[in-house]
Amino acid sequence: MKSLFFAATALGLTMGTAVLAANKADVLSNYATIAEAKYQDSLITAQLLQSAVNKLIANPSAENLQLAKDAWLASRVPYQQTEVYRFGNAIVDEWEGKVNAWPLDEGLIDYVDASYGGPSDENELAALNIVANPSFTLSGKTVDAVKITPQLLADTLHEADGIEANVATGYHAIEFLLWGQDLNGHGIGAGNRPWTDYAKGENCTHDNCDRRGQYLKAATDLLVSDLEWMAAQWADGGAARASVLEDENAGIVTIVTGMGSLSYGEQAGERMRLGVMLNDPEEEHDCFSDNTHNSHYYDGLGVQNVYLGEYVRVNGELVSGPALADLVAAADADLDVEMRTKLATTMMALGRIKTAAESGFAYDQMLERGNAAGEALIMGGVDGLIDQTRSIQRITATLKLDNIDFEGSDSLDNPNAVFH
Amino acid sequence: MFRTFALSLALVLSAPVLADQASKILDELVLPGFADLATSSAVMADVAQADCTAASEPLRVAYATAFDAWIGVSHLRFGPTETENRGFALAFWPDSRSSTPKTLSALIASQDPVVDDTEAFRSVSIAGRGFYALEYLLYDDRLNALGDESYRCALVQAIARDIADTSHAMNRDWLVRYADEMRTPRKGGVYQTRDEVLQELYKALDTGLQINSDLRLGRPLGTFDRPRPRRAEAWRSGRSLRHVQISLERVHALAGLLAAGNAQLSQVLDVKFETALRKVDALDDPDFAGVATPAGHFRVEALQQVINDIHTEVTHSLGPELGVSVGFNSLDGD
Repeated sequence: MKSLFFAATALGLTMGTAVLAANKADVLSNYATIAEAKYQDSLITAQLLQSAVNKLIANPSAENLQLAKDAWLASRVPYQQTEVYRFGNAIVDEWEGKVNAWPLDEGLIDYVDASYGGPSDENELAALNIVANPSFTLSGKTVDAVKITPQLLADTLHEADGIEANVATGYHAIEFLLWGQDLNGHGIGAGNRPWTDYAKGENCTHDNCDRRGQYLKAATDLLVSDLEWMAAQWADGGAARASVLEDENAGIVTIVTGMGSLSYGEQAGERMRLGVMLNDPEEEHDCFSDNTHNSHYYDGLGVQNVYLGEYVRVNGELVSGPALADLVAAADADLDVEMRTKLATTMMALGRIKTAAESGFAYDQMLERGNAAGEALIMGGVDGLIDQTRSIQRITATLKLDNIDFEGSDSLDNPNAVFH
Repeated sequence: MFRTFALSLALVLSAPVLADQASKILDELVLPGFADLATSSAVMADVAQADCTAASEPLRVAYATAFDAWIGVSHLRFGPTETENRGFALAFWPDSRSSTPKTLSALIASQDPVVDDTEAFRSVSIAGRGFYALEYLLYDDRLNALGDESYRCALVQAIARDIADTSHAMNRDWLVRYADEMRTPRKGGVYQTRDEVLQELYKALDTGLQINSDLRLGRPLGTFDRPRPRRAEAWRSGRSLRHVQISLERVHALAGLLAAGNAQLSQVLDVKFETALRKVDALDDPDFAGVATPAGHFRVEALQQVINDIHTEVTHSLGPELGVSVGFNSLDGD
């Protein structure tokens, strides 16, 4: 089968050309290499965030808070591009809730405005406020939180009481600790936490500045160690890389699954369309920092760069190699053009949201009831993502991947694994 | 060897059945289902016009009939249901952040005049529209006493009218356009091949099974130590179990027509669906409050297990039989 494929593609090429049509193994290897680069970049930028946070805690000032915010924003650029690896790769999917869980009931972590309300039907801990409480009861047991450590956050508090909205760790917990709640509703402006929330002595606002600093440091240290772990999974000999390379067909299914599931159910559905339909500014993915336009943009870019097999690192270096696009082009050149066109259309639509937001039309404003222009912008992105999913599905058929999930051992054991 | 032969024979025999399978599903299940939804929603809107009080028996009956009709087609989340977010406008659930009571409370508190304008009402948050919002207004003790009575009345009428309009739009779409798209796949159409049509219908079956197992049963089940009865669907109106029953019956019919080319598989599925429906009959726990007790939890879990078992059979047997897989669905994601 493989040799037949090779012969067929070799026929179409000039003899002696160095560049043969890609084979699956090369495509998978490049897919893993790009993952490694993306997670390394996420790690590098998280380490910069870590030093900025340390500086803020040591020398609290408006300037140092701003530097930490800037570092957080920069760290989102590579991380969002990794999200295309999430679905399909079990190792990533099981892990990602630690670093990018959302939405969160932020009252678990720190003080919130009175309008936030107290514990809700769904979540008794929605207003727990760990920063203010060195000891509290959780599922009937007393928790000692005198010292806020990475272990306390990861092992005891994250998803406490089995509730996903109890997000104690990751980018969005850190985002809340840097920006605070966005109380502007549909108006302009992000969260406006004063730098004095980290000030020492009597300059401290909203109390417990030392504990707030402890929390911020614990969460940032945890993010760095979680990203270190994930980058290692994609390095040579790492488990995520090995898992992708183990079975060629299953590996290609993984790539396609990641592209399709992120595009459709997650980004078009959960993150974008739902916000428009609910007109709820809290349905913004990066709601504290008002960075949602970038989150969406770089998610989309991740899907595109996995298809094309090329990624620009945070230092400007280009990582590129054989890609799914090559396999598709060899099987059906028209379908490859269709896929590229649709990915480009989506990026144009997501780019429009980003451009509008950067020039002052905030994502919260786009979500407001009756804001037709905002709705059109967001729905442009949604439509592009849904439309590209149809082509991704066609790739499954064209590359004859349809039945693979019945053959692969992993999915036989767990039929939901492949398309979840 | 023998198995291979038997399989290929089955494929040959099933070929003509496959050819009009989609049409049969459209004519017997899809089109009547959406027609029923459109009619019963229109009746509900008229009844609400005449009597909008929460305790109104005629209104509650009309509401139940229309909601039944929606549940019967709620797994068909594509095409006319997906267009203009209509499915969400009819049915925003689960609502894990309590957006529905918040949105309704805000409308009532501000006496938002949006209820007086049918067109404008379509721009209201989906959390304030559809069957689940109406359930709060008819059955929630806090909301059906909140604020000004005449405003609440206008809100009930606006939601009922909006449901009727949305249902009508879906039904019209099916009749004038979408049924034909599915009957005649073509290059440049919504579906390019017959396989893509079958995949869509197969996906709907898969979605229906998943919604019943993961959401309708899985949410109230929580874990054994931490059951969550208040996460059950439509528990205020005591419709939680009823929804599972209606949905399973419709999903069973869809599975039957999709498996029509393989008598043996068809029979296997029949037995499993009948087992599930017998368990539903025996459950006697309309709002799943029983999950809070060990015995009740166990019984609901047993039902969930049968549905998972059907799902496994569908994935491993029916999918390959039809030569399609689930592809991507809207339940992917968080």
